[in-house]
Amino acid sequence: MTILRQTPPATGDVTPAGSIRRQRVRVSSHRRRQRWLGLAYLAPALAVYALVVLAPTLQGVWLSFQHWDGVTAATWAGFGNYTGFFGDPTMRQAIEHTLFFIVFFSVLPIVLGLVSAALTARKDVRRAGVYRWIIFLPQVLTPAVVAVVWKRIYAPQGPVNSALRAFGLDALTRGWLGDYSWALPALGLAGTWAAFGLCMVLFVAGTQSIPSELYDAARVDGAGPVREFFAVTLPGLRGQVAVVVTLTVLGAIRVFDIVWLTTRGGPGTSTITPTIVLYQRAFANPDVGAAAAIGVVLAVVSLIIALVVVRLSEDDK
Amino acid sequence: MTITKREKIFNYTLLTLLAVSVLFPIVWILGVAVSPSTTGTLDLGHPQWSNFVTAWTQAGFTHFLKSSMIITGSVVVLSTVLAVMSGYAFGVLGVVGEKALFPLILLGIMIPMESIVVPLYYDFLSFHLTDTYQGIILAHVGMSVSFGTFWMRAAFRTVPAGIGESAEMDGANSWTRLWRIYLPISRPAITTLVLLSFMWTWNDYFLSLILVSDPAHQPLTLGLGAFSGRYLVKINLLAAAALLISVPVVGLYLFFQRQFIRGMLSGAVKG
Repeated sequence: MTILRQTPPATGDVTPAGSIRRQRVRVSSHRRRQRWLGLAYLAPALAVYALVVLAPTLQGVWLSFQHWDGVTAATWAGFGNYTGFFGDPTMRQAIEHTLFFIVFFSVLPIVLGLVSAALTARKDVRRAGVYRWIIFLPQVLTPAVVAVVWKRIYAPQGPVNSALRAFGLDALTRGWLGDYSWALPALGLAGTWAAFGLCMVLFVAGTQSIPSELYDAARVDGAGPVREFFAVTLPGLRGQVAVVVTLTVLGAIRVFDIVWLTTRGGPGTSTITPTIVLYQRAFANPDVGAAAAIGVVLAVVSLIIALVVVRLSEDDK
Repeated sequence: MTITKREKIFNYTLLTLLAVSVLFPIVWILGVAVSPSTTGTLDLGHPQWSNFVTAWTQAGFTHFLKSSMIITGSVVVLSTVLAVMSGYAFGVLGVVGEKALFPLILLGIMIPMESIVVPLYYDFLSFHLTDTYQGIILAHVGMSVSFGTFWMRAAFRTVPAGIGESAEMDGANSWTRLWRIYLPISRPAITTLVLLSFMWTWNDYFLSLILVSDPAHQPLTLGLGAFSGRYLVKINLLAAAALLISVPVVGLYLFFQRQFIRGMLSGAVKG
């Protein structure tokens, strides 16, 4: 996220050095008054934000050190909820699934997006807007609907199985989302489907701002399309890749809707994710402290990833 | 750069292939939605468009639509107003303590909603805000502050400072300057913000799932979940209902493609 870079310039003396002292005092007191006014404008948003985001964040940290069933009095747990993760097979599975999802939600869409951007971006494509509209479409659909769509696609009588039958592969047909080993990759592919458009659109926009002289120079040096991709396109897209890595990895870490609405983490725990565990611990059979601890870890991991990616993408500039 | 004919054909083939693979699942659902079969088999020979009407009534969507409209409408208005004011504060006026306050607000872009929802739920429970419109609206608005502030601050900062200053010389106070100068210039950015806010609220499932368990106040996305969870669900009707929910956002996306894409790519780690 490039936003962190734009820290505001210090609002201080903008008066020219030669001005009369009295005037400077007046101007700076004016600016000070204006900044109090600014605080007043900010106040409503800040109040709501403090109530809905900041306070619960702090409470979450506090709760994560408690044993609490949501009703009776809480007891101090120390780091118990955190250390509890290590011996918890469900949690371990959830983390493994997250890593698996990162491949499908992040790596795969980025690779596909880069390849298709490299292949198409620098040529004039007529009706580019139509293609872009279609490819980005999954991003604006509500997860509730995406879940209905993919449940149907993977259903025993759905198109995937019909296609297999058409090729005489009846033995391979199954209810994909109800299958212990196939439900996870099936959901993963749905994630790839959803994230691919975001990657491609951002990369295509990025390649358009790479100066064409760089490509000409590469051609003159006798670079083939592959060399050209690694020498010119990929370095030129560094910023876009950073944004997409952050967005999609965070998406994989916190995935909930599509999993909950299709498999509820099942069959068994074969598609369980940290947020599903969080939801179950918080509401199904309340162990609120453990749920809060998952939330804290999620937040910390998200912050670290965002900061690391920003740092990496800025380093070699 | 010369492009050979073969290259061109290859490009279009690739793009078409990608577009088809993105569209295929959606088009399939459209087919299922108009098929008469309730088990989800495709039967395009006898399209039954009345499925959409039947689905609407059977799922009780009129009621859920009301909730969705109340929630989304209020959230869009409130969050836009707050974003404009806080963006104006950070982008134009300056804020006391902004070196600490601005990063604090940006933090909200990176904290996943899932992390804070558990304590939020118990807070709302003790303030009797669960299962109310006020509660879910407040939650959405609060979570929109980070992105809204970031977005409007960036928009207002592109306005040349001289314009505001000269208006100030003419005696325009901060409110007048915001209203007469900054808002009209920033209309495109505000349009994008409104669209995104509409989409995020309308499409939300998670926050409503947790904060609104009373069907009387649930939005359409949860209504769809209830519909699909029912015993002996008719799959063609479920598909039809799902498509109906998507119509408003997809419709807006049809007209405002550029704004949607630009807004969503601007580094919004938001959900």
